[in-house]
Amino acid sequence: MSQALLDIRGLETAYGAVQVLFGVDMEVHAGEIVAIIGPNGAGKSTVIKSVIGLAPARAGTITFNGRDITREAPHHIPALGIGYVPQGRIVFARMTVEDNLEMGAFLIKDNAKRRQAVEAVFAQFPRLHERRSQLAGSLSGGEQQMLAIGRALMLDPKLVILDEPSLGLSPKYVDLIFEQLVGLKKQGRTLLMVEQNAARALELSDRAYALELGRNRFTGKGAELLANPDVRRMYLGGYGVRTGSAG
Amino acid sequence: MEEILDPIILGQLLIGGLLAGALYALLASGLNLVFGVMRVINIAHAEFMLVGAFGAYVLYTAFGLHPLLALFIVVPAVFGFGWFVQHALVERVVGQPMLTSLLATYGLSIVLLNIGVLIFTSDFKGVPALTGSLVFGEFVLPKPRAVAALVSIVFAVGVYLFLERTRLGKAVRAVSEHPHVATICGIDTKRIRMLTFGLAGAMAGAAGTMLSMIYSFAPESGADFIQKCFAIIVIGGMGNFAGALYGGILLGVVEAFVGGFLSTQWAEATAYLLLVLVLLIRPTGLKGAALAR
Ligand SMILES: Nc1ncnc2c1ncn2[C@@H]1O[C@H](COP(=O)(O)OP(=O)(O)OP(=O)(O)O)[C@@H](O)[C@H]1O
Ligand SMILES: [Mg+2]
Repeated sequence: MSQALLDIRGLETAYGAVQVLFGVDMEVHAGEIVAIIGPNGAGKSTVIKSVIGLAPARAGTITFNGRDITREAPHHIPALGIGYVPQGRIVFARMTVEDNLEMGAFLIKDNAKRRQAVEAVFAQFPRLHERRSQLAGSLSGGEQQMLAIGRALMLDPKLVILDEPSLGLSPKYVDLIFEQLVGLKKQGRTLLMVEQNAARALELSDRAYALELGRNRFTGKGAELLANPDVRRMYLGGYGVRTGSAG
Repeated sequence: MEEILDPIILGQLLIGGLLAGALYALLASGLNLVFGVMRVINIAHAEFMLVGAFGAYVLYTAFGLHPLLALFIVVPAVFGFGWFVQHALVERVVGQPMLTSLLATYGLSIVLLNIGVLIFTSDFKGVPALTGSLVFGEFVLPKPRAVAALVSIVFAVGVYLFLERTRLGKAVRAVSEHPHVATICGIDTKRIRMLTFGLAGAMAGAAGTMLSMIYSFAPESGADFIQKCFAIIVIGGMGNFAGALYGGILLGVVEAFVGGFLSTQWAEATAYLLLVLVLLIRPTGLKGAALAR
């Protein structure tokens, strides 16, 4: 097997004295969509936060693109080619849509080039372009999620990490966001996402990891997990399933 | 009573209030900027102002440098001092409970005050560099006050535009809203906090330099100002930069009228009366508090 774009080995992470991850392993290969599923509090967000440096690993290694990023400071992460869409579609509510995107391109110091990058994302999200001078706080939930995704794309990342991109959105926007994710894959980007909408996440993803209490529980192709009776019972049996596809 | 309702007297009170308010606005907006970005109330903020005032005093008495020129030395110096204080002290208490940062900056204010007394004693100082008045018809503007207000407005508006328009200024606002998300945009939040504290120091230093032309001051003079600043940032909206500008001007004007109609003793209490009044009507202050987090 070729070397993984993102390789997580034996990841242990704690918040203060409370350990949350107990040796998680994960691989994400270039061009894949990989989903992380699991119940609330399983440690899904924590895996992501460890990758981007917001919750530094206590033990284990995280390698991205052949480079050890286990102890990398979070503000060095975007320059390496990783974009992050936080859980809860967090945007800078008191800043305009345009300024939010500009912050995603903070590392581009040249004003003209930064502006170009903003225009490129506007071309991809016409809806955001229409609202460019509105405050982000005045957007609908779905529009804010688009903005958070757009902001993560500003530096043209190889890997985009999304934490619960469809959480709390209306069905119309859930569809739209999932379409956007497919679009990102078509652009040649690699996606790692946490999703509570496990059925849809598994349908969409090439591979998936199910976490439980900070440990790997199931791993496999999205379709395989979707067909696995244990997975269906534990993760698709009612909780978080919003579409009819779970049967 | 007719005398007091004389439009000329009213106009004069208004002018006096606006001039004083501009200085308050500059001072308080720096305090609010720091609070907005790192949720730290810098009790030593007025001492930064006095560093500026004593800096102007030394430059004037030792070298005959006019305070307007002293700005070019004092402001960068206090900026650097603020940057250093953030690095050496405040950075350690960011994210800690409010009491911790209050105690840390209270300690700093005591240290600065005592260094001030050691060097300058507790005698009142002043910088009588500018005298005379501008006369517009019936209205009189004392020159030092007019110049101080003008400089204050230029500084406050300059910082406001920096925050609104520039890449770094927007990063300051981004950090004040969501530090974690700002980090993951590639923004080094520690540097932004040092920049912020430096800027707030520079604003206080500019206010102090201007103050030195208007009032007599001693190392102990900070207490009055910091209390007014607390009232202003709550009136304007905690953490809201523009709110502090409005709050400062409002306090200056209301103080002037209260002083004119009632007495200067009442003027001293104005800040608190205004505070209670504003909070009764708008609990988050005039411009809304920036406490979403
Ligand atoms: N900042 C924090 N400080 C302390 N404990 C935390 C912190 N963040 C998360 N935790 C704890 O760590 C555990 C894992 O949290 P995490 O957010 O990774 O779960 P999750 O799988 O993403 O859950 P959810 O589906 O609710 O988002 C939980 O028990 C949570 O309470
Ligand atoms: Mg989570």
